[in-house]
Amino acid sequence: MNQTEYIYIAALNQYAYCPHRCWRMFCAGEFTDNQYTIEGTSLHDRVHTTSDVQRGETWQIRAIWLKSEQYKLIGKSDLIEAESGQVYPVEYKRGRKGEWDNDELQVCAQALCLEEMTGQPVTTGYIYYAHSHQRQLVEINQELRQSAIATIESVTNLLETGAMPKPVYSKRCQGCSLYSQCLPKATDKVKSYQEVY
Amino acid sequence: MGTVYVTQIDAFIGKIDERLTVKAEQKTILDIPLIKIEGIVVLGRATISPAVVNELLDRHICLTFLTQSGRYLGRLEPEVTKNIFVRKAQWQAVGESQPAIHLVRGFVRGKLKNYRHSLLRTQREHPDIDLNNNITRLENAIAPIEKTNNIDSLRGLEGAGSAAYFGCFQQLIKTSEFQFEARRRRPPTDPVNALLSFGYSLLRHDVQSALNIVGFDPYLGYLHVERYGRPSLALDLMEEFRPLIVDAVVLSLINKRSLTLTDFTTEPLSGAVSLTKEGLHTFLRAYEQKKQSNFKHPVMGNKCTYQEAFEIQARLLSKYLMNEIEKYPPLILK
Repeated sequence: MNQTEYIYIAALNQYAYCPHRCWRMFCAGEFTDNQYTIEGTSLHDRVHTTSDVQRGETWQIRAIWLKSEQYKLIGKSDLIEAESGQVYPVEYKRGRKGEWDNDELQVCAQALCLEEMTGQPVTTGYIYYAHSHQRQLVEINQELRQSAIATIESVTNLLETGAMPKPVYSKRCQGCSLYSQCLPKATDKVKSYQEVY
Repeated sequence: MGTVYVTQIDAFIGKIDERLTVKAEQKTILDIPLIKIEGIVVLGRATISPAVVNELLDRHICLTFLTQSGRYLGRLEPEVTKNIFVRKAQWQAVGESQPAIHLVRGFVRGKLKNYRHSLLRTQREHPDIDLNNNITRLENAIAPIEKTNNIDSLRGLEGAGSAAYFGCFQQLIKTSEFQFEARRRRPPTDPVNALLSFGYSLLRHDVQSALNIVGFDPYLGYLHVERYGRPSLALDLMEEFRPLIVDAVVLSLINKRSLTLTDFTTEPLSGAVSLTKEGLHTFLRAYEQKKQSNFKHPVMGNKCTYQEAFEIQARLLSKYLMNEIEKYPPLILK
């Protein structure tokens, strides 16, 4: 393993959504916006201006870099809050709770970074859904940690080998901004295609 | 909107906010949102503002320069995509490899089958002319393709098939005003050849743009390798599109009498024939219209324009080279 390369926390989320999409974005360097990513970006633009304020009992720090040497992770946090000495991450998402609940992974990865950066255990995090203005608690439990660490290993492996995971068509492809680059149905369509004479 | 063609000599290409403007002789002749532009082709001379250059590079819009008569000069190209995997697969297949032979078969088969359908259609619509001999010759060139295992022999079949098709091209022309004896290039010395050459030049620009978008190196081909400095892969991939787009546009303009001999000029001594300004506009309009026309993609099953089909075929090409699909299906339309 090359010890100097970090992986982006955002890549974990993409990998959980679709390994092929993760490969396209982080190995092949392809990215295309669609309505969902544009909404997401403008939401993050508001969030991603570094600042810290004291709100009542809560200290809020926005848009700081998170890093973990142990897991070779790096990424920007949306919001970190600290209450009576307890720090926890808050991740902003457009829309409602995703059908492909890979957002917890991202929160867990941020928690892993925070633990290393502060030397304290982080047992909770939140996802804030802009659409419903609601925060959802994420328990950073053993199961989620295991799953995040497994994903980190998969992504590390993907970035090192560059081996392309085959695109697999599923319902989630419909909202994907890379659909026309990936054409997930092509393999089957070509298989069944009978060329005219 | 797709490609913007700038034909006015000494036009000024600038931008206002998010819009591209073309001015000539103190008049604004074009003003459209940049978001609608897929490419810009300049014929002859034009001035381009630095702001436009930055904007085009930023938006990955390709700017191509052609001479007044449509000869390719060069292009301003944004950074190649980071998709090194596509280029790696492209280079790995170079030479007489199995994938290269498979692709060359596809390019040649695609073109010749489209030639055949075009002749069959003409035969059906005009029972008075007899193309059977040429159709048979075409079929004799198509039949051995799948059993031919070296690229040079495939080039021979492509040559034989093209000769059969152009051997009866004159019979596809329904007006006595225009004559076609044989393909003559560099320079074309008759109106029909001038139109074909010009059309192929535009097509090449479009196919090359699609290849760039997908991440290919357009200069490394499989069927066309005979000369360096030629966009060989663009020439390879455009084979199947030649009859579908350019030949169709040329024949339709001539047969509908949208173009007449007055739309052409001949150079003294060299005899090189080219379009007049009005003729050029007529041709560009028809070509652009053809590119934006819809059909059902025979493989993917969805509706698409020819403009979109360039990219779809380039994607299928990359998927074949990266082992995602088992064969490359050339675009063949009945």
